[in-house]
Amino acid sequence: MIPHAPILAIVLPLFAAFLMPLVGLLSKRYNAAKACDWFAIAAMIGTLLLVADMAPSVWGGHILIYKLGGWSPPWGINLAIDGLSIQMALMIAALGTLVIIYSAGYMQRDTRKDLFYALTLLAITGMMGIVLTGDIFNFYVFLEIMSVSSYALIAFRRDSNAIEAGIKYLFIGSLGTSLILLSVAMLYSFVGSLNIADLGAKLATYRDGAQPVPAILIASLALFVTGVMIKVAMVPFHTWLADAFTAAPTAISALLAGPGAVVGIYWVARLPYLPFGLPVGIILISLGLLSMVVGVLMALTQRDFKRMLAYHVISQKGYMVLGIGLGTLGSVLGAQGGLFHLLNHSTYKCMLFMCAGAVLFRTGSQKFDELGGLGKNMPVTALTFLIGALAISGIPPLNGFVSKYTIYLGGIEAGLPIVTAIAVLVSALTFASFFKAFSSVFLGQRSERLRETQEAPKLMLFPMLMMAVICVAIGLLPALGFNIVGPAQSAAENSAGYISQVIGGI
Amino acid sequence: MSLNYTIAMLLIALGFYCLLFKRNLIKLIIGLSVMTDGIHLFLISMGYRTGGIAPIVTSELSSNLSNFASRAVDPLPQALVLTSIVINICILALALSLSIYAYRHYGTLDPYQLRRLRE
Repeated sequence: MIPHAPILAIVLPLFAAFLMPLVGLLSKRYNAAKACDWFAIAAMIGTLLLVADMAPSVWGGHILIYKLGGWSPPWGINLAIDGLSIQMALMIAALGTLVIIYSAGYMQRDTRKDLFYALTLLAITGMMGIVLTGDIFNFYVFLEIMSVSSYALIAFRRDSNAIEAGIKYLFIGSLGTSLILLSVAMLYSFVGSLNIADLGAKLATYRDGAQPVPAILIASLALFVTGVMIKVAMVPFHTWLADAFTAAPTAISALLAGPGAVVGIYWVARLPYLPFGLPVGIILISLGLLSMVVGVLMALTQRDFKRMLAYHVISQKGYMVLGIGLGTLGSVLGAQGGLFHLLNHSTYKCMLFMCAGAVLFRTGSQKFDELGGLGKNMPVTALTFLIGALAISGIPPLNGFVSKYTIYLGGIEAGLPIVTAIAVLVSALTFASFFKAFSSVFLGQRSERLRETQEAPKLMLFPMLMMAVICVAIGLLPALGFNIVGPAQSAAENSAGYISQVIGGI
Repeated sequence: MSLNYTIAMLLIALGFYCLLFKRNLIKLIIGLSVMTDGIHLFLISMGYRTGGIAPIVTSELSSNLSNFASRAVDPLPQALVLTSIVINICILALALSLSIYAYRHYGTLDPYQLRRLRE
């Protein structure tokens, strides 16, 4: 393993972000228009290699602990990377790289690309930090880095829609992060520690019901869950998501739908075990079910391409939260299915947004009423969209089927067959909604205006095809996914192992 | 000491009320910053000790560490509050600049009038 790899995976995109305006200046001076693109892509590939380099030793059963400044936990800040973190870090790095490659094509008509890349890399830094850190205040700081840069990215084009969506997300998102800060403050006042492993160890007495849970701990947990749920956009807190994803540049919708979803679900998966370890399974299951149903019903009525995809993000995140909730009731399959669905959903939802972006890039429209018959003009985009649509509807042999089926089995394993029934029904509605989208965009009557539409640029097609290949590959060989998800699920559950390795392992 | 906590909770509640019920973007921003200031007050009060000393180990204090430890205030909340203040300045600046753009596009600061996306 490369020495200092854990911190380098955070520092590399951070420094690349700060150097980006300089690269932008130089590229203008020396007329190298593509310099910013290549610099951002190189930084992301470097990050991906660093994360991939850490993976084998984590899957070997270790928890990588990196002590910042040499202060050993629980006194200093430390990065702790277990199986769950490494799954999330791999997904953020891999999907982030593809999104940056896509942006190089998608943003080519925009000015100030250096600032766009600087913000995107900062958002990725924040995401990477959230999943790698072992310190709860550090988590809050990285969450704010990610959030502030994504507010700015959503409003990047500064037209009226973008500003409106940016403002909405800013207020709701800042409320959520303030709640998390208040929760962290309460936790510190009660326990006197900020290290997640140390908090878990000190709160262990309340976990097994030996002592009554004090009110401040419940308040802290409630604030934390609310804050995380605002970021994940579960149904009562979902209003910002559809606007943000509709109005943002499509590359950013893809970034927030893929890697951005990862960080929220990471905390949902962590929450039942560390640092609180209090039973939240029922909350997760009910919020998940509600989001699944409401999300898909809202999606069915949409007439805007990206807005429909955004409501499906809510609905599909409901599946993940539901699966993780089932996991806390003792269903290993449920938890594995939830994390597996995160892996699959991030891939194909990223791809679907990229398809919508390709259509928007070539036609200038994202309304179903104005589109139609584009299958002949954009065959590759149509094919990747079809793969994504079938995957999200859970049609075998694509990856969405595998993870959804695992969640269905998890519902039965947890003794809640009604949950499985609702999940199957939502899946059917998802299929109906995507059938409508596919036929109104790629099939049917082509209007005069769209006759000369060309296929998307190669730089945009490449990441889309890569993701389509991942979707088919995981669908045909589910073991590929389970090899990543299995260690992640067992690491999330094994809070005693985490605590002993982080605090005991010097 | 409990006065601090009371005021902190009052500020948080006021800010929250302002965020929920006010219909002007600038007032919403004020509400957000009042709320985070309440959280900061809560954090900083947590580390304070009546009659405490600055948590800096000097040569005369280092001879009697247990005495030092029983009198010094907790330095960690101060570090946390500093970090958090910086973060909230970023959010404040971004929110104000977005409000300026919103006013230019829509000619109003009423967040309920910003609804072109829904139509």
